[in-house]
Amino acid sequence: MEAATATARHVSDSAPARAWTWLRRNALMIYAGIAVAYMLIPIAIVGLFSFEKGTAQGEYWSDAFGQTAVNDSMIMSLELAALTMVVATAIGTLMALALVRYEFFGRRATNLLIILPMATPEIVIGAALLSLFITYSFDLGFTTLFIAHVMFSISFVVVVVRSRLIGFDRSIEEAAADLGATPFATFRLVTLPLLAPGILAAALLAFALSLDDFVISNFNSGTAVTFPLYIFGASLRGIPVQVNVLATMLFAVTVIAIALVLWQQRRAEQMASVQPEQEV
Amino acid sequence: MRVVLMALVAMAASLVLAACGGDDDVGGGSDQEVEVAEPGPPVEGEFNISNWVGYIDKGEGSTIEEFEAKYPGTTVNYTEDVNDNADFFGKLQPLLDQGESGGRSMFVVTDWMAKQMYDLGYLQEIDYADVPNVDANLKESLRSPAFDPERKFSIPWQSGMTGLLVNQALAPDIKSINDLFDPQYKGKVTVLTEMRDVVPLMMKADGVDPEDATKEDWLEQIDQLQEAVDSGQLRRFTGNDYIQDLTNENVVGVIGWSGDIALVENDDVEFVMPTDGCVLWSDNMVIPVGAPNTAAALAWADFVYDPKVQADISDYVRYVSPVQGIEEVNPTLAKDPLVNPPEEFTADCTTQPDPPGSAEDVQEVTEAFQAVVTQ
Amino acid sequence: MTARRRLVPYGLLGPGAIWLALFFVVPMYFMGELALRTGTFTEGFQSGFEVSNFSDALSGNTTQFVRSFVYAGTATLIALLIAYPLAYAIALRAGRWKLLLLFAVVAPFFTTYLIRTIAWKTILADESPVVSVLQALQLVPEDGRVLATGGAVIAGLTYNFLPFMILPIYASLERMDTSLIEAGKDLYASATQTFLRVTLPITAPGIVAGILLTFIPAVGDYINAEILGGTGTSMIGNVIQSLYLEQRNYPEAAALSFMMMVAILGVVLIYLRLAGTGAFMGDEEERG
Repeated sequence: MEAATATARHVSDSAPARAWTWLRRNALMIYAGIAVAYMLIPIAIVGLFSFEKGTAQGEYWSDAFGQTAVNDSMIMSLELAALTMVVATAIGTLMALALVRYEFFGRRATNLLIILPMATPEIVIGAALLSLFITYSFDLGFTTLFIAHVMFSISFVVVVVRSRLIGFDRSIEEAAADLGATPFATFRLVTLPLLAPGILAAALLAFALSLDDFVISNFNSGTAVTFPLYIFGASLRGIPVQVNVLATMLFAVTVIAIALVLWQQRRAEQMASVQPEQEV
Repeated sequence: MRVVLMALVAMAASLVLAACGGDDDVGGGSDQEVEVAEPGPPVEGEFNISNWVGYIDKGEGSTIEEFEAKYPGTTVNYTEDVNDNADFFGKLQPLLDQGESGGRSMFVVTDWMAKQMYDLGYLQEIDYADVPNVDANLKESLRSPAFDPERKFSIPWQSGMTGLLVNQALAPDIKSINDLFDPQYKGKVTVLTEMRDVVPLMMKADGVDPEDATKEDWLEQIDQLQEAVDSGQLRRFTGNDYIQDLTNENVVGVIGWSGDIALVENDDVEFVMPTDGCVLWSDNMVIPVGAPNTAAALAWADFVYDPKVQADISDYVRYVSPVQGIEEVNPTLAKDPLVNPPEEFTADCTTQPDPPGSAEDVQEVTEAFQAVVTQ
Repeated sequence: MTARRRLVPYGLLGPGAIWLALFFVVPMYFMGELALRTGTFTEGFQSGFEVSNFSDALSGNTTQFVRSFVYAGTATLIALLIAYPLAYAIALRAGRWKLLLLFAVVAPFFTTYLIRTIAWKTILADESPVVSVLQALQLVPEDGRVLATGGAVIAGLTYNFLPFMILPIYASLERMDTSLIEAGKDLYASATQTFLRVTLPITAPGIVAGILLTFIPAVGDYINAEILGGTGTSMIGNVIQSLYLEQRNYPEAAALSFMMMVAILGVVLIYLRLAGTGAFMGDEEERG
């Protein structure tokens, strides 16, 4: 397949042949460029729209927060995502620790419990939760959204943290214990920092999942209006340009945040790879 | 692999379990007596109102700000979370059934929905002594609609006409609902997901009076709709999202709502009164059971029926205003037939009807229509 | 091991397990219970054992059921074809561009799903340049359109769930020991042979995971059909949404949801048996 194209077996000196060779060598990367462009097209369109329509160029950027309804929904979404992130990451990390570190009765059932929500279409989860809330006459709103968001985020957190835990060198922890650290101190000073990248990735994922959710929220929001719910309503009648502005802002902020995290991680890894030699 | 098997077993088990338990009823109306909304004074505190998107003027000196200025100490939480009558009701019903409104003092729904809610005991009644402006300024033609002859539980927010929105440059010949089914416009026309708008309009085009129509008449029109779907004539079923399709010229003619013409960014598109007439409706302010701060709700209803206030709202939304007297405030606005349609303009129009018969009959017609929509 | 130590895992699991039990398992039970109720919305739904809700739900919506699986299946296949070479390029060829490319792939996740889909509606509008090009290339008939067709729905599904396909495949390629490729080249000489006999089998778990992660949400989706679809493109999600929120026929809606879940689990089961691997997160199960 594409792997083959990169290995040019026949080399010729004529220009077309050289071009052909170059093309074959780089076909895969050219394809990757096109594919990535395809993935980014809609975002470019949204960014483009955020500058459109007004009387002055970029008018809606200076008035980015001029639509109270847009702001309120965005604030609610951010609050919800932050809260979901904290709770789901904490709960999920503990579960991942239990699953990787311990042999216990009911492990298989627990695995099932974690996998099933991911194998269930959102609409079924949303509808089922609504069935529960209807039966018990729950007040639909921020609380039910929070319950639902934590629920569907847990599984993803567990999967991400677990994959980090599996490749974890336990001898470092044992060394800490040998040096007299209590189990709690070991956990706090050794395990947690080493797990941090996995936990961070899981937290980001939980945040993004919560921020983006429409289907489950639509069933269980009651009076609350999150950003996606607002967009759905507004899309029916012509979206305020501010929505595009805020979406672009949000995108930019996440991009910067992730870039910082990646950079930080890379630095940490570099430092980690240097340290043993220094200490010896 | 075992995981999936276990899941199937678990689900089967839960079904069996489910069959054994659970006695609570779900749904059904409440048996409480109808309350009358408690008026002020004082008018103060938080006031939560739910309305449709884009249904009020915004920004500096908006109606909401003026209201807060008139009643110091009042905070209006105006939420645009009504996108669809059935959808909104579906989400709220479990609360209403418990005699709660989710903190809302008021919301805005279309005639038939208001009627359904009232019949289920979900709405409070309104004493007109508490809303003198409404009593004085509500247009004569809207004072005794069939669904609420005494206007006991509903006050119109805005009214509107369901008719045709047509791109005059691309389809100047669309004048009647039947023209939408002309093969030359195949795949370029849409209709609404609101059964009570679409079916009566089709009936009128076929010479059937929706007011006297039988269940069979409704079902026959739904069959015709099905044919139009099968032939590819109809492009989509839409809510307000036809606005974007009209702007981008994805469609040339649609069944749509009059005021939306203000939101279509395409100068060729105009509202066309169908030669067969239109469907008239109102979106109504209603006060649900368990509503907090009904005093503010009544004050709000009264406030927006002041012609000076109404003129601002009307100028922004461009729907048919239910308030008389705006001509003195804004004469140009009052001349707009979409805001203040003269009698001869709406002569052939019908007030939005419900399918006839019992609740089961209505359910049958609704299901038939929804089956076509979700095909 | 002390008794206290044996209790530790349960303590760690506790909060999460309870949360999932209360808000995933219990709701499923209630959905099952609701699915068996009788009555109408206005008169209330009484508990019962109305199995016909299931047959009604199925018989009335066979088309949408089949369509959902066809759309989701097609979208998954296209996503796989797009994702594999891309993941391969990022994992094995990108060099210092690796992080940037990976990042660009995940980036669309961070604009709201709805906004992305609505953006596609603009891109694919009837008079848009994209559609004109497609018409010129004879991929779309001269007077044809993209929007409001099944094709647009499939395109939307493909786009929206593509990252779910790319990431697991990328992860499996990334973990792969590249010296195996070298060894394969020595053994089979042809790069195609090497790919088929070495790379593909090693990354099979990633492919299986990607297919499931794409297929499952795609089957249950209704947003793409709602925004990009037209008449006759409704998926089962649209029907469930309409039954729950428009018609308020809770029992039939619940029955339909339940059957969709069973159908999906059935398809997953068959697929995993055919694929012969337990890659779908339950990896430890297979090992144990």
